[in-house]
Amino acid sequence: MNKRTGRLLAGPYLFWMIGFVILPLLFVFVYAFTNSDGNISLEAFRTIFTATNAKAIGLSLELGLLTTVICLLLAYPLAMILNGLKIKSQSFIVFIFMLPMWMNFMLRILAWKQLLNKNGVLNAFLSLLGLPGIDILNTPAAVVFGMVYDFLPFMLLPIYNAMSRIRQDWIEAARDLGAGNLLILVRIIFPLTLSGVISGIVMVFVPSLTSFAISQILGGGKVLLIGNVIEQDFMQGNQWNAGSSLSMILMIFVLLSMAIMNLFQHDEEGTQLW
Amino acid sequence: MVKKTLSRIYIFLIFLFLYAPILVLAVLSFNRSDSRVSWGGFTLSRYVACFESESIMSAFATTLEITFCSAVIATIIGTLAAMGISSMKKRGQAIYLGATNIPLLNADIVTGISMMLLFVRFTNLGFVTVLIAHITFNIPYVILNVLPKLKQANRSTYEAALDLGASPVRAFFTVTWPEIRSGVFSGFLMAVTMSLDDFSITYFTKGAGVNTLSTMLYAQLRKGIKPELYALSTILFLTVLLLLIATNINGDKKVDNRLIRRVISAVIMLALFTGSVFVLVQQHRISGGGDRTITVLNYGKYIDGELLDRFERETGITVKYEEYEEPEEMYTKYKAGAISYDLICTSDYIIEKLIEEDELLPIDDSQLTNYENIDPALIEMSTFDPSHQYTIPYFYGTLGILYNTKDYSEDQVKSWDLIWDKQVSGHLIMTNSVRDAFSPALIACGYSINDTDPAHLKEAQMVLSRQKPMVSAYYVDETANEMIAENASLAVCYSGEAALAMDENEHLKYIVPDEGSNLWIDSWFVPKSCRNYQDALTFLDFLCDNEVALQNFEYVYYASPILYVQTHMDIDDRLNSAINPENRVTRNCEVYRALDNDTSAYLNTLWQELKSQ
Repeated sequence: MNKRTGRLLAGPYLFWMIGFVILPLLFVFVYAFTNSDGNISLEAFRTIFTATNAKAIGLSLELGLLTTVICLLLAYPLAMILNGLKIKSQSFIVFIFMLPMWMNFMLRILAWKQLLNKNGVLNAFLSLLGLPGIDILNTPAAVVFGMVYDFLPFMLLPIYNAMSRIRQDWIEAARDLGAGNLLILVRIIFPLTLSGVISGIVMVFVPSLTSFAISQILGGGKVLLIGNVIEQDFMQGNQWNAGSSLSMILMIFVLLSMAIMNLFQHDEEGTQLW
Repeated sequence: MVKKTLSRIYIFLIFLFLYAPILVLAVLSFNRSDSRVSWGGFTLSRYVACFESESIMSAFATTLEITFCSAVIATIIGTLAAMGISSMKKRGQAIYLGATNIPLLNADIVTGISMMLLFVRFTNLGFVTVLIAHITFNIPYVILNVLPKLKQANRSTYEAALDLGASPVRAFFTVTWPEIRSGVFSGFLMAVTMSLDDFSITYFTKGAGVNTLSTMLYAQLRKGIKPELYALSTILFLTVLLLLIATNINGDKKVDNRLIRRVISAVIMLALFTGSVFVLVQQHRISGGGDRTITVLNYGKYIDGELLDRFERETGITVKYEEYEEPEEMYTKYKAGAISYDLICTSDYIIEKLIEEDELLPIDDSQLTNYENIDPALIEMSTFDPSHQYTIPYFYGTLGILYNTKDYSEDQVKSWDLIWDKQVSGHLIMTNSVRDAFSPALIACGYSINDTDPAHLKEAQMVLSRQKPMVSAYYVDETANEMIAENASLAVCYSGEAALAMDENEHLKYIVPDEGSNLWIDSWFVPKSCRNYQDALTFLDFLCDNEVALQNFEYVYYASPILYVQTHMDIDDRLNSAINPENRVTRNCEVYRALDNDTSAYLNTLWQELKSQ
């Protein structure tokens, strides 16, 4: 196979990508910059800058950031502990933590809905212990809960991968040179896992920023995220132009977070997820 | 030592966090009692119900089919693409890889919407559109798994093979393939995983009647959770657990694990393949009915399935029956030209809009031998069809208050005033449907529920925003379940939803407040896209038959416009105001009129403002 025929092998993919990735995005672009009569207009963009949408974007950013921070705080120590375990089959440990991710996304939300219910399992358990019940279903807290549960593996895996690549010699060398545990963590482990942390952040932040199903189900229809506004615009309100322009705004956020990720990641396999 | 204990505890806690929900569902799946907190004995009936449930099984089959087909096609295109990309110069590679990242890193909702916009422009939404969408987001995973293997592969051995006279194809299979095989395989598995788990993209690209597990569950979760789903979740979990343990154990022992892996992958492939064939055969059986086929679109669970079989037997006409959840969803897709049906059942105000847009064909009553069976009062009330020539009423009901008699007396709920009162704080469920939520508010301000004056609507919004802090949740389909479980004691909902809930919990009662409310009539109409007018009318006539209507009523449990049903139903049902609104009630009620585009957009804005407060 010479180089030219080799390149032809990517032909079907090129065709597919233009037809089903680029063209659809152009459609979003066209809808965003036209009005309902099909004329070019900025009307859709004007209508999206309302207090409602601003609040929805604000809340999405807030809950997305909160989810990301909680995931990071939970996953980083976990990755360190898992990495430190002197167990022969580390892959088995990782697999145990990944297993819930293989179950259907909706079933995982269903599980939390059952647990968090006012008359649900968690409260029955708490009252058995004589503790006061919690009532967070249908609040933003429940949405964050659900998102942390769903996206935690996305944070854990890249960090764990980065950490398992750190060679024990380096840490021992640092220790020989008199560094304490904290110093080793701050000066050696953290910088070496930074790329994992960054890709974990992006992989948690983007889906939690744009989620609409979790907020719909666990938020009881009271938590309006930007994803919910877009979904309503398309599926119920018949306002495709406004929905498209909001989608463009979302894309800007996604591009921004991708750019940040690229800034920190110089290694070749940066695009590889795990 | 302390540190070790601490990390053990930490691992355990995270472990608990991850597994407790799954375990709880597993335990509940064996619970005989419907309650979520008390144990009523061991049963396997949930599992039987799960396998008997048509919606679960067909969604499961569709999921397997989409997953398998999309993963195979994506693996082929992706592997070829990876080979092509690896033989490109650096710049070409960068461009391709950049584009590959788009579906990977873009928000799912944007990917889904963009494809929906493309598809509705050129074709109908359906199985194929979902398949295309899945292939599109699967390809990048394959490429990213194969490319590193190609980079590691030694190019010169391949060239050596060529020099020694092998054909490119032979050289590929004997030299390159063994080196990239593991990458192709993990790419395939990754594609399977992503496809199985996807919700958002499927949600936007699917047509009515096509459901994967995720979209089916989404609809069900909003409606209220059925115990069959616990069984489903447990089965899925065990399957995944067994598969992963199998692949993992043989990964540890080096006992000819290649063979074992091959066997396992062959089994997976075979399972997926037989599943797909099974589904294809079944679909063929359903659709292969000859010329006399009608395509019918109705709300979910809105007909007794036995009646469909009986109609097919008696007339020889095949019914392709599809369901949808939200009228607005149906309207949006209908207007986008994504649906073509012979007969559609939907809500009054949507029909009025469609009549204004001249989308309907008149129904010739003279061909309906059972037309006289319909209560003339109901036809009279169908003001959304002023000339009474486009629609046949199917079921009707009211919007009212469902309350728990343990907490409220009938006197208290006789008026809408109660739902604005501080005392209901924290246990009120408000309807999540725009017009139904505004109706009581408009009534509270002394206006008609069809008022279009922006100032009046704004006033109603003020009432609703004062109410919002007291509302525990905005629901539509989940209301019945939440009230049965007594998570709330007061709900604004439809009479049909209320009847269902009252059947399950004896403390619940339903009332239409004295100030009046909305009376809704769901009716059948024939869209202009109809291709089999005669047989569509035969189906309508069948539904208006006295005995058929009675049987259908006993299944659907909404008020029927067929006079015979009104006189022959069970005496308890007749007295149940949730099922059978009294005349006193219907006199005070109004049917929704279609809103003009400006008003409906303004109402939407007000609603979103309210929701974001």
